Amino acid sequence: MSKPRLHQAATQDGSGVLRAATVRSWINEMAREVSERRDYLTQLDAAIGDADHGVNMDRGFTAAVEALDALPGAGPGKLLRIAGDTLILRVGGAAGPLYGSGFRAAGASLGAARSVDGEALLLAVRSGLAAIQQLGAAVEGDKTIVDAWAPAIAALERELRSGGSTADACDRAALAAADGAHMTVPMQARKGRASYLGPRSVGHQDPGATSTAMLFAALARAVRGLPT
Amino acid sequence: MTADKGTVQSVDRALRILRALAAGTSRLGVTELSERLGLAKGTVHGLLRTLERQEFVEQDAETGKYRLGPATLQLGNAFLDNHVLRARSLLWADSLAGQLNEAVRIGVLNGSSVLIVHHVFRPDNSVQILEVGASIPWHACALGKAIVAFADQSQRSALLESTLERLTGRTMTDPAALKRALDRIVRSGVATGNQEAIIGEAEIAAPVFDHRAAPVGAVGVAGPVERLLPGTPDETIVAAVKHVARSLSREMGAGRVSARGG
Repeated sequence: MSKPRLHQAATQDGSGVLRAATVRSWINEMAREVSERRDYLTQLDAAIGDADHGVNMDRGFTAAVEALDALPGAGPGKLLRIAGDTLILRVGGAAGPLYGSGFRAAGASLGAARSVDGEALLLAVRSGLAAIQQLGAAVEGDKTIVDAWAPAIAALERELRSGGSTADACDRAALAAADGAHMTVPMQARKGRASYLGPRSVGHQDPGATSTAMLFAALARAVRGLPT
Repeated sequence: MTADKGTVQSVDRALRILRALAAGTSRLGVTELSERLGLAKGTVHGLLRTLERQEFVEQDAETGKYRLGPATLQLGNAFLDNHVLRARSLLWADSLAGQLNEAVRIGVLNGSSVLIVHHVFRPDNSVQILEVGASIPWHACALGKAIVAFADQSQRSALLESTLERLTGRTMTDPAALKRALDRIVRSGVATGNQEAIIGEAEIAAPVFDHRAAPVGAVGVAGPVERLLPGTPDETIVAAVKHVARSLSREMGAGRVSARGG
């Protein structure tokens, strides 16, 4: 199991083409992040869920890192698909199927390409969100991971459309996802176990949207941290 | 909003204050409450003082804001204590949870939702959220489908025609498909829920009947879909749930014939 911290010095080029190594460091970064912030995620989940989000995500992404380590030579699409399979099997709860199907759809969207550009990345995360929404039927405002995924994708697209680099676009996406997670605080949950609490779910940040913000921050670091 | 004819306006207003304080983690001041409820500040103040004297609200010494008081907990507990089905199900639910190592819930139909009146945690020492008081749309949970399947025709039709909200991608929202599912439940005596309320969570539930052979509620197991519904519903769980539902029905006065469901 390896969760290496990326070297800031490795930032050499902002164009950020996504390669197998980028996907590996994305998953590594996410695994390190959810491991470090496991208790925080669990705390958020204890307020409106089952208090297992931190532990589940830590277990799942640790397993995903191991699964990818066992697959030298795989392209970015395959790596994301295998990561998705592993998350479905190992995270459990609602987060496993949701994140897992998102990763699987993103991986399928990348196909067999060895490296892809920002546009392909945009299509991939959009496919990921579509899969998540098909499974969970959640829309923005329901206080779920969609509230971080959707603004992240919108920001990614805006930056690419205005001529920004993939790395800049991923930075924007990470900021938008974090904002989106904060915006879940005043929402009343309309999906998931938190919705059982009705109005009592108001005033708490959604743990899933929070881990999604971590996911897009990890992507931004992975894209920045690797030379093209 | 004014109270309906034949009701007492001040009681209505006081109860709206309690509901506002029950939302979120909010502690509300007189001004916030008066804005939220569209009432004069003086009116709100008087109502709050009355509620405070009866311990239904209490004032935060530092901020001066109001929150719910201890009497609300006593009322909620009294509701649960007086609930006949819940009272009779306590021991059954405990033993079912212990036997299957899964969470057990007892629900009753309240409008178009199932109100959870009892919940025994999965006995594995994991942290779980107490679902007593939760309200789940009837069509999205096995408890609800088990009750409605055996409800009288007019109630069943009315519920099938009501708004069927989608809670997950698997929630059944087509009235015709739902009706077929209810017919299957009548034949088998058992209802299943496959991630229709929460992704990853499955349920197996059976109805409980009273002396009139009417469904008064349902008892069900909830847990990870891979454990409860590995392909077909786990037969041990189905048998255990049906056994408890039949036993509870007898305790509720249902005759052997009316304690349907095999």
